[in-house]
Amino acid sequence: MAYLDTYTAPLTASTAAHLLRRATFGPTNQEIVDFTGKTATQAVDLLISNASYRASPPPPVEMDETRADAGQEFLTKPFDGSRTYEYFLWVRYWWIGLMTEQNGHPSVLEKLTAFWQNHFVVAQSSLGDYRFPDRYLRLLRANAMGNFRTMTIAITKDPGMLVFQNGNANTKESPNENYARELQELFTVGQKDFAGNANYTEDDVKAAAKVLTGWQDVNLWAAGSTSIGSVFTPSRHDVSNKTFSGKYNNTVIAGRSGATAGDEEVADLIDMLLRHPQTPKFICRKLYRWYVNSNVTQEIEDNVITPLATFFASAGNNYAIPPVLKRLLTSDIFFDNRNVGALVKSPAEFMIGMMRHLNQPVPDITTEFAPFRRMMQFQEWGMNTMQLRFLDQPLVFGSVPYYQTGYSKNWINGTTLGIRGAHTDAMVYPWLEIKPGYMLGIDFYKWIREIQPNFSDVAGTPAIPCEELFAQFSKNFFALELPESQKNFLIDTIMMRSVPRSTWIFELNKYRAAPTDAGWRNAVIGRCQALMKYMFRMAEYQVF
Amino acid sequence: MKRRDFFTAASSMLLPVMVDGFGVKSFAKSSGLVQSLMKTAALNTDRIVVIVYLSGGNDGLNTVIPLEHYSDYYGLRSNIAIPENQVLGLSGNLETGLHPVMTGMREMYNQGKLAIVHSVSYPNPNLSHIRSTDIWMTGVDSEQFSSSGWAGRYLNDRFQGYPLNYPNNEMEDPLAVQIGPMGTTTLLGTTQSMGISIKDPTTFYQLIGSQVPSDTDLPCCDAGDLIGYIRQQQLSAVGYAAEIKAAADAGRNLAVYPDASLGNDLAEQLKIVARLIHGGLKSKIYYVEMGGFDTHAGQVTNVNTDGVHAQLLKKLSDGIAAFQNDLKLQGTEDKVIGMTFSDFGRRATSNASKGTDHGVGAPMFVFGTGIKRQVVGTNPDLVNGLLPVNPQSWETNRDIKMQIDFRRVYADILNDWFGTASSKTDQLLFKNFKTTSLFSDTVQTIASGAWPNPEIWSNGRVPSSVEKIVVNAGHIIEVGQNITAKNLQVDGELKFLGDFNVNITG
Repeated sequence: MAYLDTYTAPLTASTAAHLLRRATFGPTNQEIVDFTGKTATQAVDLLISNASYRASPPPPVEMDETRADAGQEFLTKPFDGSRTYEYFLWVRYWWIGLMTEQNGHPSVLEKLTAFWQNHFVVAQSSLGDYRFPDRYLRLLRANAMGNFRTMTIAITKDPGMLVFQNGNANTKESPNENYARELQELFTVGQKDFAGNANYTEDDVKAAAKVLTGWQDVNLWAAGSTSIGSVFTPSRHDVSNKTFSGKYNNTVIAGRSGATAGDEEVADLIDMLLRHPQTPKFICRKLYRWYVNSNVTQEIEDNVITPLATFFASAGNNYAIPPVLKRLLTSDIFFDNRNVGALVKSPAEFMIGMMRHLNQPVPDITTEFAPFRRMMQFQEWGMNTMQLRFLDQPLVFGSVPYYQTGYSKNWINGTTLGIRGAHTDAMVYPWLEIKPGYMLGIDFYKWIREIQPNFSDVAGTPAIPCEELFAQFSKNFFALELPESQKNFLIDTIMMRSVPRSTWIFELNKYRAAPTDAGWRNAVIGRCQALMKYMFRMAEYQVF
Repeated sequence: MKRRDFFTAASSMLLPVMVDGFGVKSFAKSSGLVQSLMKTAALNTDRIVVIVYLSGGNDGLNTVIPLEHYSDYYGLRSNIAIPENQVLGLSGNLETGLHPVMTGMREMYNQGKLAIVHSVSYPNPNLSHIRSTDIWMTGVDSEQFSSSGWAGRYLNDRFQGYPLNYPNNEMEDPLAVQIGPMGTTTLLGTTQSMGISIKDPTTFYQLIGSQVPSDTDLPCCDAGDLIGYIRQQQLSAVGYAAEIKAAADAGRNLAVYPDASLGNDLAEQLKIVARLIHGGLKSKIYYVEMGGFDTHAGQVTNVNTDGVHAQLLKKLSDGIAAFQNDLKLQGTEDKVIGMTFSDFGRRATSNASKGTDHGVGAPMFVFGTGIKRQVVGTNPDLVNGLLPVNPQSWETNRDIKMQIDFRRVYADILNDWFGTASSKTDQLLFKNFKTTSLFSDTVQTIASGAWPNPEIWSNGRVPSSVEKIVVNAGHIIEVGQNITAKNLQVDGELKFLGDFNVNITG
């Protein structure tokens, strides 16, 4: 197998599902059907072009229906410090809503934006002002599928980043090295190469800090202000020449003065960082860990990361992001069996994937903001308790499971397993009413009627056997096909509770004949609930 | 006894104590009052119930065979009937016998450690597995629904604030332990399960570290590594894992259990239960189960004493007998009782496939040294005790009529075994259920009627001459015969229909 060669076999339901699970937060069954039969190239092209459907979604609104300004856009209003907590939530709900919605056009956009959010980290807890994470998120969404160079320059001047990494305090008189360090260690070249050699020196940090002097955010927490942004103040800027180490080929960035000095030197700095041979490798390795497998061996480093990085930085590509993503997601290595089920679902893949798999519709944020809020509250709080907080990570490193030893295993412990189970149970035994007529969770009654042809015609249409029901309920449910022994266990022990399988036919027919009879209804639905509850809690469901 | 237990125990008797003006505190531990109080409910704090669920609906008539009605029995099910001469006889009970494979439970019966409760069911029986099991587990009328289980409600009430304020000094251990892959409704409290569950015996031994997981169903590569890891985490997420491990380390099995190669899942589960009890785990209720009782076809082979049902009953009997023996050797026998239940009984009439279809009444077993009587109810009357009562000519499938509502057994366990106040038991079971006197050496009337009518007696049987008898207030019992009893207390009325004697043997 050639690792980065294009996977040419037409997608089956199972390989299409693998692609969609990784490229998005999880597919609906219909999306899997839609993608089956396409080539990997066709499929990824579509996932990329579909991003245009949600390039400019409607803005977040006040979602507290008890307020007079409920439903109104708030980001265009003067800053209101009393609503920072709620408005930040609404911004996050807005994004989670975009991740969750099922609009028929699955796209790589939100998953890729989430990658950048975990890469160029800005944590709200050090900002407070809800406008900053909003602006930061829009920056990421707009650049996620653009050019890495452009995005790195933009994020360097982002007011949220200036606050979070103290760029606003970085002046020629008292340089603050925080951002200069993270820009190299975390955002571009990486601290060390794959062999463990340092990629830059401490003097390089100091030199970069000088380049970055003079930038400040505007209007953080400024009551009544109607805009935020960043500003370069020439008088705060260090105009001396900045000399870098041999790690950067002893590059000298010429000191500039005047209003354009900041932009010019930042551009030079990012150019230099992106010329460093480790930068494209560092980014590609991180993309591989995000999309394929956190386990990067020497084999993978040599055969996947290095050639992909060469392509990423090549003159022809010049750090354009989508072509790299496409090469990775259409590669043989991506579809290799050893990479199926090789990641633990993050809370986002767990919660959002569950909603999408179960076709739980997202209410319209503009017209149904209160139901929208209820659904997103369930999702956001769930992810939060499972240790993922979008736009508010614990550290500049991003979420722990993307860098700490063990990687995605770090999502799992006794507590998070319990919380994961509680949230899947909520789908099996619905209790959250999103709006009248919409209980969040599985409508088993409806589902069985969809699976059983001619539901009411007991005499003329045989009942579907329990094996068929199991096949339907478990369709696309697990990333990996279960062994027969496990399937039999699920049918015989969990669903049928060790009564003969034929009992299912008997009970289903009783229920079909008398759908309002609570006893038979509970008998049939109880078996379905037991099955789904158990499957959701299986270790096999936690990986993708 | 802890102070709080004492007050709990005293509460039902508090009125006379306080009316007399004595502060409870003034009583020394040696005082007569305290001693008598200690003999009541509060002493029951270390008592344990083991619930054995036989999934699928056990065929009662081939489990407990009505020898006194053998020809009727044979007539209803000749293709699966156990030959009369192979039925295991019971000491002091010529009318009834057990399936030939149930040697272990026969021995328990002969030692006074096994009770048979005949023809247990509930009014308006439902023959759906799930619904009927739900009725048994929640303890409701067949037209009612509850989202909590009978034992769960009991634990919920007894250990208020669980799980938030637990473990604590009053209860360091899980309230209940289930071994099985799915949480049982029986243990559901008002908002959640009151027990912790261990998926299977393998999981238990992994949990206590005496067995290294050797998953054979793991996929290859990183996915297999991750799934194995998550299963480990699931294991350590079992509630009270440390307490369970401590008890398992302290406890030992002293009896010989059926060899693991025999695949007796029930025995494997009970073995764990015994070990935990011996190790001092304070859990009140253990819940174990075995499946396979839904024997619609081929429950016997060409030899009526062989086949699926015989294998199941052997596992049941061997498992329970080994467990009881273990408790005896451990010295924990007196604080543990067990009970079996199943979805429902099976038809009295067998079907043409050498099986039996869903039915109504069936025997329950209650076991342990704590029982005070060994038979409740009578063998089902296989002529006049069948349903439908007046069958049409085409109604050839006959069911066994209920004698004892299962909730009467629950009520006795809650009242007499756990020492729950009877008003509280009524609340937990949603209404009052008459005792079966399972845990009492006294038979009492539960209704007015003629002395020889078994239905008026708490144990469902006409009192024998060695019984202590109470005729309860409000009951009028018509006597048309001479009566001999060990003791007779009449709070109600004996209405003599002629010149008959009462002979009290004391």
